Amino acid sequence: MKKKTLAKIASVAMATTLAAGTVVGLAGCGNSKTKIGVLVADASGAEALGFQNYYTKYIEKNYDVDFIYSAELDTAEEEKAAIENFITTGCKAVISFASADRPAQIQQCQDAGIYYAVATGTLSETEYNGGEVAIDPTNPAAGTKKLPAAKDFKYYVGAIGPSLDVEYKAGYDMGKWAVEQFTASTSTAKHKFALHGAGVGYRLDMHVQRTAGILTALIMEGGASFTTKGEDGSDLSVNKFFGEDAVHGILLGYLYTNGTVNIADFSSDTMELVGYHQLWDFADTTWQQNLSNVVAANPEYVLCAGSGLDVYGQATNNTNVKIADVDSFTEAYGSAMQSGKVAYLAGKYSSSVGPIFAAVLNALNGAPIRTEKNEALALGQGYWVATSYADFTKYQNADTADAPIFNKSLLDTVICNVDAETNEVTNKVSYSTFKAFVEKDRTPN
Amino acid sequence: MKTLLNKQQLKSAGIRVAGTLAIPVIVIAVLFIACAAGGKNMFPYDISFTNFIRGILTLMLTTIALSINLGSGRFDFSLGAMALLSSVIGAQIVMQTGGGAWVMLLFCLLSGAVLGAASGGLYVLLKLPPIITSLGVTLLYEGIAFAITGGANMRLLGTDTDSITNSVAIMIVFIVLFLAIIYFVFDNTKFGYNYKALKEGQKVSVNTGIKEIPNAIVCYTITGVLMSVVGFLNNTFTGTIQVSGLNFGSIGIMFGAFLPMFIGGFIGRFSNDKLGYFLAAVTMTLFSMMYSAFSLTNSVQSIISAVLLVLFLIYLSNEKLIKDIFTGKHLRDYLKRKKTPAGAEG
Repeated sequence: MKKKTLAKIASVAMATTLAAGTVVGLAGCGNSKTKIGVLVADASGAEALGFQNYYTKYIEKNYDVDFIYSAELDTAEEEKAAIENFITTGCKAVISFASADRPAQIQQCQDAGIYYAVATGTLSETEYNGGEVAIDPTNPAAGTKKLPAAKDFKYYVGAIGPSLDVEYKAGYDMGKWAVEQFTASTSTAKHKFALHGAGVGYRLDMHVQRTAGILTALIMEGGASFTTKGEDGSDLSVNKFFGEDAVHGILLGYLYTNGTVNIADFSSDTMELVGYHQLWDFADTTWQQNLSNVVAANPEYVLCAGSGLDVYGQATNNTNVKIADVDSFTEAYGSAMQSGKVAYLAGKYSSSVGPIFAAVLNALNGAPIRTEKNEALALGQGYWVATSYADFTKYQNADTADAPIFNKSLLDTVICNVDAETNEVTNKVSYSTFKAFVEKDRTPN
Repeated sequence: MKTLLNKQQLKSAGIRVAGTLAIPVIVIAVLFIACAAGGKNMFPYDISFTNFIRGILTLMLTTIALSINLGSGRFDFSLGAMALLSSVIGAQIVMQTGGGAWVMLLFCLLSGAVLGAASGGLYVLLKLPPIITSLGVTLLYEGIAFAITGGANMRLLGTDTDSITNSVAIMIVFIVLFLAIIYFVFDNTKFGYNYKALKEGQKVSVNTGIKEIPNAIVCYTITGVLMSVVGFLNNTFTGTIQVSGLNFGSIGIMFGAFLPMFIGGFIGRFSNDKLGYFLAAVTMTLFSMMYSAFSLTNSVQSIISAVLLVLFLIYLSNEKLIKDIFTGKHLRDYLKRKKTPAGAEG
């Protein structure tokens, strides 16, 4: 009898625990605040948590909204299921940080009649304007499919964030910086460096673009060359005389096709690519061995397309290897910059996701901001770059959870007013005003 | 007569040694030949050997942990979650107290034991199929790890916790120590005899007075301890504890232990299964080193590992037939059947 009671108690406790996530997810159902679903591909990275803190601790406090976060999403199927959950829990809009299949997300929200916006990124040209797109980028034989023009969708608010061009530029600037460091060095020996492609193995667009940017800069600014396959299958040595656009395009093709970088394909008289690593299989011996190989090759810098400190932080202890990375202005990076472990950081700031929230709120208030051609927004935001601890602290102090750059008073300048009694919308925001607001350089002096 | 007996003993010993070493020796030879032919080095730097030893230790412990419960029909998905949560607890304590690697290891071991015992306790209490309970426990432990860290990856940078995971000597001592302890506990104690009896026939064993419940809880506790060491070694090597593994994100670690478990079981027929798990871990870690030497992508690695697993399972399922084919017995039997007129046997 006693055993049975215990078993019942344990069963109930377990069921309660398992249901806890659901309960928490539905916790906001009972109030009158407008619910906004947030799709996330990364739920634990410092940058992702910065964005989440801004939304849940600052925006929720200052506006009549509730953010409901998804679990960490890796696949298009998971994204679809998460949006279905949002719809059933009464979300009126979705802000997406997940990019496994953005066209499918947009279509799903359009069909359901809820607003959708992309944060910290932009759509590709084909996704925005519509057109033919490869079914499988790694396999041209799989054919193409036609995408509708998302810009014309009523419920597609738009995208604000580093566009793929900005991601490419972030990589390019890092590569250019590395070349400058090598050039300034008095050493006549070849300068060793390594690359960390992060999500290149999964063909994550932003990491592919950043890696392509780094390599393009090493070719254009450092005089290196890169061997890939030409259209006829023969070896093609790419150098700066091809021009930046061609080099960029060829490298993108190389990265999307191979999903990795073969270090033997890089050649230079002054630089040596001594190691390449990617992904995050922390518990895998092969991955650990690759990581050790990169560090043991003793590069001056590891140029990272992302996750540099997570991957190389401990592995570079007691070495002279320095990390250059694209991430965010968090405490861990501050310490690492102070100790000299991280030499270069291109980062987003947490409240940079404020403008897309403003755009969504305008849409929810009945006054969506559209371009002059009545198209959805496609606006870019850049990175801040710190190459010293002094730079770092300046940027970190400029955007905190309590005093963000995009604070309420600033956001209110681009959010329309709704009369509570008549529902009449006043202070509608024009596209040009909003564009200027988003694209204004807010780098702290 | 005495000489004949010695010859038989010698033959038996020869078979045992050959059976024990055949797979590791063949694989090591093949991998080294492949690397030599491809101009690759599996150990290009001093630290490669450290990675090799760490790989052996973590894979051996995971394999033993998996086999302890799976051998008794208890499928345990929570191995990765126990490794994760014990590391999170150990790391939290170290970050707050300023202790080093040994302090973290101690708390990882303690929390691993508690988590393992709790998992076993739930299994016993709920009386649900172990596969269901372990899924629940996995979600629970992943959720607790997520709650403790607020969902953020934990960074051990600056905590001086990597001294064990980068020490070849300590890790070799760990390999010997854990093998000796596991061998002693499972092959030389009353608990071990009961475990084996329960494994072979639970109902009969229980009827003879063996207590299944304490035995199962101790098994889960040992599993928790072993996985806490795995989590400790992996996480202190990278200095980052990934806690993003909600919704079964932590279960992947156990799948890499299936092939070594089958290989270890096969080797165990000729000597001892614990020794088998060690040799299987050596074999599979060498594969990992080869993957790295050839810079093989994850997808290629997965395909090779899956093909090896399937081939080995096919071999195990058709062992007698394959043996007969290679010794010519199969052909002889076939020819004999063909020569013999139908019904002649009767």
